[in-house]
Parts: sequence; C-alpha cells; structure tokens
Amino acid sequence: MNALTASRYRQAFDSIRERVGRIGPRHQALERFLASGLPTTREEDWKYTSLDNLERVDWHAPVQRTKDVSTEGYPGAVLKFSNGRMTDSNSQMLHARSLAAHADAAVVTRYQGQLIGTLSSGAALAEINSALWQDGLLLHVPAGWKGSPWFAVHGASEADAMLHVRNLIVLEAGAEALLVEHYRGAPDLPYWSNPVTEIVLGEGAWLTHLKLTEEGTAATHTGLTVVQQARHSRYHALSINVGGRLVRHDTWVNLDEAGAECQLDGLFVADARRHLDQHLHVNHAAPHTISRQTWRGIAAGRGRGVFDARVVVQPGALKADAQQSSRNLLLSPQAEIDVKPQLEIYADDVKCGHGATVGQLDEAQVFYLRSRGIGAEAAHALLLRGFAEEALGLLKHTGLTDWLEPHLANALRLNKERTA
Amino acid sequence: MLHIENLHVAIGDKPILTGIDLDVKAGEVHAIMGPNGSGKSTLAQVLAGREGYTVTEGSVRYLGQDLLALEPEQRARAGVFLAFQYPLEIPGVANVQLLRTALNSVRLARGEPEFDAMDFLDTVKSKLALLGMDESFLYRAVNEGFSGGEKKRNEILQMAVLEPRLAILDETDSGLDIDALKTVAHGVNALKHPERAVILVTHYQRLLDYIVPDQVHVLAGGRIVRSGDARLALELEDRGYGWLTPDTQEGTRL
Repeated sequence: MNALTASRYRQAFDSIRERVGRIGPRHQALERFLASGLPTTREEDWKYTSLDNLERVDWHAPVQRTKDVSTEGYPGAVLKFSNGRMTDSNSQMLHARSLAAHADAAVVTRYQGQLIGTLSSGAALAEINSALWQDGLLLHVPAGWKGSPWFAVHGASEADAMLHVRNLIVLEAGAEALLVEHYRGAPDLPYWSNPVTEIVLGEGAWLTHLKLTEEGTAATHTGLTVVQQARHSRYHALSINVGGRLVRHDTWVNLDEAGAECQLDGLFVADARRHLDQHLHVNHAAPHTISRQTWRGIAAGRGRGVFDARVVVQPGALKADAQQSSRNLLLSPQAEIDVKPQLEIYADDVKCGHGATVGQLDEAQVFYLRSRGIGAEAAHALLLRGFAEEALGLLKHTGLTDWLEPHLANALRLNKERTA
Repeated sequence: MLHIENLHVAIGDKPILTGIDLDVKAGEVHAIMGPNGSGKSTLAQVLAGREGYTVTEGSVRYLGQDLLALEPEQRARAGVFLAFQYPLEIPGVANVQLLRTALNSVRLARGEPEFDAMDFLDTVKSKLALLGMDESFLYRAVNEGFSGGEKKRNEILQMAVLEPRLAILDETDSGLDIDALKTVAHGVNALKHPERAVILVTHYQRLLDYIVPDQVHVLAGGRIVRSGDARLALELEDRGYGWLTPDTQEGTRL
C-alpha cells in the first residue's frame, strides 16, 4: 500500500482513538491491514472483484451522527445506526444493544475476533474493520429464549466516509432468533460500508438472518459474515442485494459439530452498472452436517453479478449433505453473470449436488401474460418476481413477506432507465 | 365483430395462411376445423398478436379497429382472449396473482376501477364455482405441475374471469377426458351472450357435441376450403378431411 493511501487509514485511526477503548489490538489490526493492503484481483477469491475504486477515494472515519430521518416502519424491535454508530434504540429492548457500549461484556471478550481469525481470504477487510469499528449490534440471546424479530437498520449520509460496523451475534443453546439487517444510504453519495458480523450458534440454536442491502447508487459495500455452528444448530440466511455501485458479500460458515445445518439463500438484481458479488464458503467439518444454497440472480443493463460458492466436505464429515442451486437471468446483451459453484469432497458416503444456469426471460411466457391484458413492463416484473420467489422460501415462516414486498417490487421494476 | 379479409401470413419465407376470409358476428360461435398443419393455430396466434408471424397481405378488423395494429395486451384489453393450445408454466407466480393483475389491467382499460382484494376474490370464487373448480387452484403457481386437463381448465378460468368479447379456443379440447371436456364446454356456454362471439379451433368434432356452432369452417392448406353449419362437422366426423383437400395427401380419418 502506498504511503498516501496508508496515511488515510492512519488518520482515520487517529481520529477515533480517543473515542474507543482497547487501542492496542486495534493498532495491531491496523498494521496488519497496512502490511497486506486490500485484496486484489490477483487473488483467486477476488478475481471478479476489483477494489481499485477504494484506493482512489480520500476516506475518513465518519464524524456526523445524524438522526435517521427515514420513516419506514419495521415489524419488530428496531436498532438504528447512522454513519456507523447507533443513534436510536428502545432501551427496553431485550438482548440487543450497542456493541460499543458493551465492549467489555463477558460475551464480547469471549467471542469477538475469534472467528475472523479463521478466514483464508479477504482477511484484510476484517482487519481494517477491527481497527476502525465504532459501533454495531450486540445480540446475545440466552439459552432457550425465543422471541420477536430484531431489525438493525444502517443508514449512510456522509460523503467519503468509511463505515466499519461491527456486529456480534451469540445465540446460546436452544435459542431462536430472527435478525434483519437493512443497509441503505443516500443516493449518489460515495461511501464505503464494510460491516463485519460474527455469529456464534450454540447447540440447537436457530438463527434466521435476513440481510437486505439497498445501499446508495454510488456506494461500495464489502460485507463479511462468519458463522460458527455447534451441534444441531441451524443458520438460515437470506441475502437480498439490490443496491450499491459495488457490493460484495462473503459468508463463511463452519459446520463444526454433528447435525449442524445451514441454508444460505439469496437474490441479487444487478441493474444499471452495479457489480454485485456473493461469495459463500461452507466448511462441513463434522458428520451429518447439511448445507443448502438457493440463489437467483438477475443482471440488466451493464450490470454484473457473481455467484461464487465453495463447499468443502472435510474427511470425517460422513453423511454430509450439500446442495447448491444457482439460476440466473440476463436481461440485456451487456449484462454479465459469472457463476462458480465449487464442491470439494474429501469424505466418503456424502450426498452433494449442484446446479447452475444462466438464461434469458422466456418470450413465450411474456406473450402469454400480455395476451391476458398485462402490459409488457408489468409482464416482465411479474416474471422476475416469480423467478425471485424460488429463492425466498426462507421468508415463509418469518412473517416478513409484507414488509419485504415493496422492496422487492422496487428492485424488480426494471424500466428502461435502469437497464440502459 | 371480427372481419378477416384475404389474410396472408408467413413464418419467415414460408407462407402459412394464404387468403383467409372470415366474418364473425356478435352472438355467434364458429368452429374452425382442419387437418394438422392446415394453419389453424397460426390463425389463432396471429389474432392474439404473437410475434414471429408476418402478415403479408389482407386485414383484420375487430369492433371497427385494425386488430393487427394493436399490441397483444391492447387486444386483450379490447376483449380478445386466446385459450392456448399449450398453456405456459410460470413458476413462482400464483394463479391468483396472474388473474388479479390481468383483470385489473383489463378493467382499467375499460375505464372501470381496479378491484380490491376482497372484490376480486369474490369474483374469482364465483367463477371457480361456475366451473366446479377447487379454490386451491388459485394458490398454485400458474400451470406448474398441472396435468393437461388442469391446464386447459385454467385457461377457461382465465377466460371466465376476463369475460372477453371474442374468445378464441385453440384446440382446448385436445387431450381432455370427458369431465374436463364438459368443464370447458360449460365455461364457454356460460360465456355465450348476444354481445360476444367464440371461435373454436379444433381437430375433432367431439367438443361440438357440447358447444353447438353456428358455422363450421374447414381450413386446409392455409385457406378456408368449405363452410357450413353444424352438420358439416358431423360430415367431417364421418368422412375425414381427405375429400376436401385433394391436393394434399391428408386423408386422415378421425
């Protein structure tokens, strides 16, 4: 990393050091980040994703703490974050709080930073987050507790700010939770959102995790989620990526104990000139572990989508069961989707399969709908909604369908302007 | 209502229809019969506005408009309905979603207010009852995993909900068992009205036992070679198409 770029990160670090605790480990993380630099396209895992744009902006740590003015209603408990810091939460809220305000809690001391040590690529982004995070969600659900949904809502309104939100989610044995992360920001505002979420699921715990990424049109989002699963725990994640200029999600799941199950589903809509990139890394490290992936991707205009999913079945992970499905639609000649499903199997007696397709809208279906009086644009939207539906199975039991529907409708209204 | 004059249609360089003349008046039921490859389905598709066909000559007037100048959705909103020979499967889209979007598009075009969810469901349920169909039909993805008979019934349900002025049924009877055939016939008969017309495109006489046509036309080699009343269909049942199409080798008996 050149001296100029490095000095930006050092300045950002200096600007927050008075506000944050435990500066030692943060400083070490900063130095590790500066030594390695951002991931480059020379790394196999990053060959489709160029972060060159990040090098060109004079990033700073956010200084504003504007109140979120959004009036969107959420069907559950809401924690609002603005420019990387919590601005609003119901103090009566159970189990969910500001990570910054509870950085010394036992659960944080025990778990924070443990999982990102296991990453085999892209660790630099986690390091800079570790150095510069100012706040995030701490969700600690006690054993056996089952409750209503939490919404962590992240807004961005400061130009050239880098937002290193840090979340820690811990579900003790038998706990069940539904967490929604909603990332959005002002249109045409350049900012960089780099959230890191560490998730620890105890025995038999069940987390349903919806991530809706609706970042502003000029935003970069590099999100990292790392999950560790104990025996018979379930991690059900649905990622919906419909915003941003460059968005990349990396999800790492370690199925460390027998009977652990993960489902990593998602939908992306890469219209205009968006680059939307999803990387899943699943490690079956124990017998009778299950992983499922159902993804649907749409690219229009000059949009670019990437689905890169690697599932490794370790020796000894007997009776592991891994299934991947990735279906994709290209709506214009300039759109591109790269699909890279990878299964690496080092154990016998496993059940693994994957299917990946890239195709186009079926004109016969379009005509069928139009022959019923439905206009061409509405017919396209209906077909795209139907296509997306297959990836949204996890929603059924969440009660969030009504809340999500307008977001989906908006994302799938691919008019001429957005497909150019 | 529908006035087709000297209609010539080609797919690429290949002529399919070579001069169709047909006049359908409000209140009438016309049957168009003919051997495979005679152009029956092409005629139905062209009337509905399917792309890929070139009209090289002739005209189609519908309720005083140039039908061929309209987009498929404009034709549907003006009251033209095509029951497909091979209805499309649309995974992820519930039947009820399609029906509601379609009906509201048509209502808006007619200057009527959109139905809200309750009014819409009342309307659809009355149509289901009329056709003896189960409500669970509504919540299945459009035609996905439907049997052949279910798909055809679903076309008739769409027709019943949209209440077209001109219904064109493209081989809706083919492959149906007798119960499904009766459902289809019942749906069509329920739609009959002095202000409406029906065109039945069919290979077999069987459907005409249940829906009695005012006129029967035999299409062969891209033209109507014979027209008559319902007795013509019975004659075809007896004699096949061969005697009407001496220049083709189709002596298919039914």
